[in-house]
Amino acid sequence: MLKTTLLRLLEALATLLCATLLLFLLIRIAPGDPVQILLGRPGEAGVTDTAMQERQAAELRERLGLEDPVAVQYGRWMERLLRLDLGESIHTGRSVGAELAERLPATAALALAALAIQLALGLGLGIASALRAGGMSDQLIRIVCVVLASTPAFVLGLGLLLVFAVRLGMYEISSAATLARLWLPAATLGLIGAPQLIRVVRANLLSEFGQVYIVAARARGLGRGRLALHALRNSLASIVTVAALSLAALISGAVVIESLFAWPGVGKYALDSIMLKDYPVIQGYALVMIALMIGLHLAVELVYALLDPRIRRQGRRIRHDAV
Amino acid sequence: MTQSDGATGPLAGPAAAPRRIRIRAGRHAGLIGGCILLGLLALLIFGASFITPYDPLEQRIAERLQPPGLEHPLGTDRFGRDVLARTLHGGQYTLIASAAALGGALGIGLLIGLGAGMMHGTWIDALLMRIIDVLMSFPFMVLALVVAALLGTSLLHLLLAVVAVWWVAFARLARSVALQARQETSYAAARVLGASRIALLVKELLPRALGPVLILATFELGSLILSIAALSFLGLGAQPPAPEWGSMLADGRAHMLQAPHILAGPALFIVLTVLAFNLIGEGLRDRLDPYEQPGWQ
Amino acid sequence: MTQGAGSEAMMLQVGGLRVSYGGRRAGRDPQGPILSGVSFALGRGEVTALLGESGSGKSTIARALTGLLPPSARIEGGLLRLGEEEAVDLAGDAPPWDRLRGRRIGMLFQDAQLALNPLMTIRAQFEESLRAHRLAGRKEAAAEASRLLRMLGFSEPGQVLHSYPFELSGGMCQRVCLALALCLRPDVLIADEPTSALDADSQRHVLELLRRLQGELGLTVLFITHDLAAAQAISDRVIVLREGRIVEDGAVRTVMARPSHAYTRALLAARASLEAPAPRQGAAPDPAAPLLEVRQLRKSYARGGEVLRGIDLTVHRGEIVGILGRSGCGKSTLARCIVALEAPDGGQALLEGRALASLPRRELSRRVQLIFQNARASLNPGRTALQLVTGPLRDHRMGGRRERAAVARALLDDVGLTGELQVRRPPQLSTGQCQRIAIARALALQPELLICDEAVSALDMRVQAQIVELLLRLQAERGFAMLMISHDERIARRLCDTVAVMERGRFVERASGGPSPERHAAGAAAGSSAAHL
Repeated sequence: MLKTTLLRLLEALATLLCATLLLFLLIRIAPGDPVQILLGRPGEAGVTDTAMQERQAAELRERLGLEDPVAVQYGRWMERLLRLDLGESIHTGRSVGAELAERLPATAALALAALAIQLALGLGLGIASALRAGGMSDQLIRIVCVVLASTPAFVLGLGLLLVFAVRLGMYEISSAATLARLWLPAATLGLIGAPQLIRVVRANLLSEFGQVYIVAARARGLGRGRLALHALRNSLASIVTVAALSLAALISGAVVIESLFAWPGVGKYALDSIMLKDYPVIQGYALVMIALMIGLHLAVELVYALLDPRIRRQGRRIRHDAV
Repeated sequence: MTQSDGATGPLAGPAAAPRRIRIRAGRHAGLIGGCILLGLLALLIFGASFITPYDPLEQRIAERLQPPGLEHPLGTDRFGRDVLARTLHGGQYTLIASAAALGGALGIGLLIGLGAGMMHGTWIDALLMRIIDVLMSFPFMVLALVVAALLGTSLLHLLLAVVAVWWVAFARLARSVALQARQETSYAAARVLGASRIALLVKELLPRALGPVLILATFELGSLILSIAALSFLGLGAQPPAPEWGSMLADGRAHMLQAPHILAGPALFIVLTVLAFNLIGEGLRDRLDPYEQPGWQ
Repeated sequence: MTQGAGSEAMMLQVGGLRVSYGGRRAGRDPQGPILSGVSFALGRGEVTALLGESGSGKSTIARALTGLLPPSARIEGGLLRLGEEEAVDLAGDAPPWDRLRGRRIGMLFQDAQLALNPLMTIRAQFEESLRAHRLAGRKEAAAEASRLLRMLGFSEPGQVLHSYPFELSGGMCQRVCLALALCLRPDVLIADEPTSALDADSQRHVLELLRRLQGELGLTVLFITHDLAAAQAISDRVIVLREGRIVEDGAVRTVMARPSHAYTRALLAARASLEAPAPRQGAAPDPAAPLLEVRQLRKSYARGGEVLRGIDLTVHRGEIVGILGRSGCGKSTLARCIVALEAPDGGQALLEGRALASLPRRELSRRVQLIFQNARASLNPGRTALQLVTGPLRDHRMGGRRERAAVARALLDDVGLTGELQVRRPPQLSTGQCQRIAIARALALQPELLICDEAVSALDMRVQAQIVELLLRLQAERGFAMLMISHDERIARRLCDTVAVMERGRFVERASGGPSPERHAAGAAAGSSAAHL
């Protein structure tokens, strides 16, 4: 168990290393000079003084260390990363790490609230749907699910804004990150993500219901409720996986909803930075997101092992019939 | 459409029959409904020039923000462009772009996935899996943002980003199917009978992978359309004045209060198109792996 | 309809049970009735065997009597009566299963390991059952479970109670399942093939336990099986089921000694033929021509450890060699190593002196062929029998299109798959017919060595006898060498020139050093093939 955990940890670190390399190369290989991207191309609007621009460019090149070989640049970048230094924002001059850390709680709150809604809906409706498989309520849930899964988050968000903010005036349109402003974006993300979880819960439960151990438990006279519990416990691993992936998607994909609801999280910050061409911010944001993804994948694998005695108690086996 | 597919035929006894039959008809209803919906949408979208005489790009400032009426069935936007024409032409954009991206991702994914599955246990498979792991850690939205920042915002760049990460989903699925198939007796039998590697790939692995991959592709196509719309909504995908559903919604957002009809057309079309793909996907999935439902009694 | 004289003596009576499966799945026609009017009764305190081949509907009876049929099945009629109580209408809306299942009727399943919840300890499963029926609290539950487990031959019940099912062997799991069923003190126990998935020793052990406990507790048992010997060993009475109808019902001795129905006679004849010594047909093996030589072969897996631990084996041209061993002893791995589906870790296998590993796949597959246990799974379900046999011929570029078709037809005729059957696909054929296709396909390449990996063990006895005869005839006519891998002593000892017994990756016993056991010696002495007839 310990060995497996360490192995997984090493694997995750290796993946993270590869990912940083890939990200670095992506940014370096991209056509176009980063300095030009930053300062604007000559002739573009706002760039009039070419001499001034060249001076600026040379200075920036120097500052960013772009004259060194790529490997040296990567090494330097990695070395700074190890010190958790993500560089400075070109726009504000502040440390990217600090800027992101400031906004991460808002995104995390939104993602967790949405996940809670998804889990409540997913477990509740998924179990109900599986227990009444084929019945009216199951059909209804399936139809609602497929329609919701076909709706873009921003369309639902626009609709909800129209109803709650404009018509009912129950939602304040501002850019503050307060609890009173959390519920609408959270509900949007929760509703959009719920169908996937409902489907997974339902499908897993149904497939467990078909297993021999459930039939055998029924033959011993156990009631429906107990059986549903058995099935749920045995499909917990896949439910946890989907929930974790959903969380990852919520954090990394909250850009749209954050922008729509003017929720001051990292997604909106990244989007604004793109408009400002603040590329250290984009790079730092991408890196944090990637690390988060890898961390979540790792957590899922470890939880998996905890949930399943077949992994947890590997090698323990009573083989001899004499016992 | 409860009794449309002839599944209700069996001369069943009266008692337990209704429940089962409803399930069956319901399943087919989804698949058939999805296909009909997709057919209708495709007809509307690709027959746009016959349905509406307006040019999706032509601005008539005099006719701006008109409500739906006989002249403009879905009204006009802030530049006086016909919303119906823009919605339908925008569909061509979306459908062709996503089909192209999907084709690319599907081809690469199948090839790499099945190949890795066949080479399981060798360094090639290990390497491919590592690459897949690394790409999996790039959330799609994040990659899209990075690409938009580096290459500038355009639909083509977006699609390149899509293909770059999306093949992973197909590769993983194809590989798992291949690994499973390798455990099966008929694969072993084919090997014992002396089938070549290519024969194994084409005759044993590909047919098995096609079903699941097709189902995944249908769902993925739906979510791809959603993503393209979302990114265009953010201004990172298709650029104005191109009539793309997401950017039309972003555009109409400012006039949400005076002219909500501008939003209705594109929003409805996105939902219906994705719905069609999702219905087809679910229908195919139910057909291809019909699990036995539990008999609660 | 043998409710017999004193209905008081009857613990469970079934009347007019009719079940059919609807064609719910796409592309599948509604099937006919699986049970058409089955009536029988179980004597109080008796063991009744329900004997039938696969597809006869015997498991459907078990499921119908416990309300556990899959939703695609429909009970069209049937009454169930326990003791003197009012009869339950099985086709009715809501048979009182809550009252019957577990408490009155207990059940055992074929695969005990799967019948236990994999994520719960044995103790938790006992507790749950006992508490659901309010028979015990937490503490009493553990005590009761320990008591039962001890009765079932576990010397350390405490250790078992704290285990998960995956930590127990198949035989142990079945005993745990038996204890779980018994802890609810049912009147009737329905055991659906409880020993079929176990190896011979565990099988015997579980049967003995079942018989002993049944006697001690006065339990009424319905023992469902396809195994004539098991039925004979355990039951007082036997009911023979064929295609959803009861064809024979009587005391075990009577039925075995004087079967009244032709089908029962056929079953008994098949067993007799499998047990009778087979006269050696065809040419005697050539002891001077070793075809396959295996030397110190080793193979281990990351999970499961060492599977082959130094195997030495020689097969001569025309020889039939048997490998006898329980499941998990490594015999299938050996077969897979010989056909290069697996690469051994050490030692080597030589085909006429050339290392197998160095042979190109094409040549190897022309010379050595393998027949799998699960014939149906080894065939691509989308192809017809004819296409399945011509496929390898085409892959090996043997003959033109017409010739290949002719060869395939002749082969299929030879294995007994004639006429219209040749254009059917595996899903439309029986398992026996599938195995015939697999044999024809393997022989199409005219191999020098045919390996049969449990080629008949999944088949019903009558079909088993037929396939064995077929293999023997083909071997005699064509003279290929055969490696028969089996867990069934009867088959291995009866058919083979040499038998090697395998245990935990090693040969522990050889019936004869060379390829000439006694019956063979007799044949060789007579000096002509006529002596073998």
